[in-house]
Amino acid sequence: MTSPTPAIAEAVEAVRAQFAGHPVEVVPDGSGGVYVVVEQVEIGAAYVPSMTWLGFQISAAYPDADIYPHYVGPLTRTDGGAHGQAIQSVTWQDKPALQISRRSNRRDPNIDSAALKAERIRKWLADQ
Amino acid sequence: MARRPVNPPATGWSLTIPPKIWDRLSDHVLGSAARGAVLLAGLADGPRGPRLLARELILADEGRDYIPGEFGHRALAPTFVRDAVIRARDEGLAYIAAHAHLGLDHVGFSEIDLASHERGYPSLSQISGQVVGALVITDHAAAGDLWLPDGRREELAETIIPTGNLLRLRSQPAEEGRPDSLHDRQARLLGDLGQETLRRLRVAVVGLGGVGSILVEELARLGVGELVLIDDETVEETNLPRLVASGREDIGRLKTEVAARNARRANPDVRLIEIARRVERPESLEELVRCDWIFLAADGDAARHWVNGTVQQYLVPATQVGVKVPLTPQGDVGQIHTATRLVLPGSGCLWCSRLIDPTRLAVDMHPAGERDAAQYVPGVPAPSVITLNTLAAGEAVNHFVFAVVGLHDEENDHASVIHRPRTRQRDLQEPRQDPTCRWCTSTGRLGLGRKGSTPF
Repeated sequence: MTSPTPAIAEAVEAVRAQFAGHPVEVVPDGSGGVYVVVEQVEIGAAYVPSMTWLGFQISAAYPDADIYPHYVGPLTRTDGGAHGQAIQSVTWQDKPALQISRRSNRRDPNIDSAALKAERIRKWLADQ
Repeated sequence: MARRPVNPPATGWSLTIPPKIWDRLSDHVLGSAARGAVLLAGLADGPRGPRLLARELILADEGRDYIPGEFGHRALAPTFVRDAVIRARDEGLAYIAAHAHLGLDHVGFSEIDLASHERGYPSLSQISGQVVGALVITDHAAAGDLWLPDGRREELAETIIPTGNLLRLRSQPAEEGRPDSLHDRQARLLGDLGQETLRRLRVAVVGLGGVGSILVEELARLGVGELVLIDDETVEETNLPRLVASGREDIGRLKTEVAARNARRANPDVRLIEIARRVERPESLEELVRCDWIFLAADGDAARHWVNGTVQQYLVPATQVGVKVPLTPQGDVGQIHTATRLVLPGSGCLWCSRLIDPTRLAVDMHPAGERDAAQYVPGVPAPSVITLNTLAAGEAVNHFVFAVVGLHDEENDHASVIHRPRTRQRDLQEPRQDPTCRWCTSTGRLGLGRKGSTPF
């Protein structure tokens, strides 16, 4: 097992700070990175349930690698409509999930942190 | 200019200097005015001994930092030495003071030089807690006197500059090589010392598919002494038309096994390290960072990222070899090209050339079971044809052989080769460098070696 690099440890701490008050589970991915799951994330009234988990991998290639994709628990839309583009049903870490595929164009590894992207994904989903 | 001597790799301590740093150093100290400088260097284990990895050059200004000496003609000013050695201490780097002597193929320290080392280096070593030492160069030779933190003193066996011709400078030229009857015909071009150079090299091939299998065949037959073979895949039926010396009985076998069998058939004396793992695995990287050259023949962005990191942090030159066949869903064929990209430490990198995509890298770093699902648009197998692979592989190995035996006309030719077989064009492409790159610059991970840890 490879230990996470200082960059990954720092990224995890920033995620904990970004989602202060939420349980955050961190599991090594076996290749020097980690899987992160933030529990009880608010995604708004457009979904049932309105609160779910948000998961992602911070790989050993972070911060050069983007954080992509993100995953949340299975959700249905309150209005009964279908999910839009960039959202699909998958199995992630042996559990049913929705995959959210939002790449960061012109990404700067010094700025685009795992924590900021997680919050952007939460907000983007809530705005759909 | 006289051709530099061909020096086979030597056993012992070595110093590797990235080409851009070497150019600045040699311009400064080999110019008309004798001047001094200090190299700050990382440390790593190498294939034949410890390696010092030059990361940064501090030039001594004539008159202020390089002044009339108390004992010799000129010396580094005490304040300059103090500032440099404190930086070495604070950054955990070796301190190597450099100057030049007159001469061509032979160089050594003068008695005055050695006396000054004995006066100063024990205390510099104590201050920094790192390796300290001196380097003296001519155009074609280099000698080094190293003082280790444990009190031992070592000579530098060789100074390596991985430029267009990979220079190996010693204090004096290597003695004539022994004739090798097996390789007699190629040694007539490469020379006995060139052939001996190949025999002592440790070369990695990352990706053992269509291109990689040809690389292994050619490197083994050329007489490269040790090959590190990295690939985690097994042979599939659709690989067979492109996999050199493979047969139907190989379906399901590891590509490393098939490549190793082929290498032994080509050269029974070759030493082989087989790693049936992806390149980002620590066991792969530990082998990769102790190589003399890397051939990157794997497609994925993860392989590109980790090999690029090895080149820059451990100063191991690499050649990326690839074939691109653009094909629309309607079957229209675009501009096919083969690419043979030279990736040299400190001279631009695969990130600077935008040849690694951060999102594709993220997907490529997922475990195999999640990788396909993580791609929003599912991937389809790209076309692949053995003749195109041969074109790229031949170009790459030929460049490598010429580089390590000093046969390229231009030492500063660092260009990559793009071959477009449909129009029969062949273009050279100069590397690009982002001055803020966190890999190939001195503000990034260049030359950090094991101080920067592995994985990176």
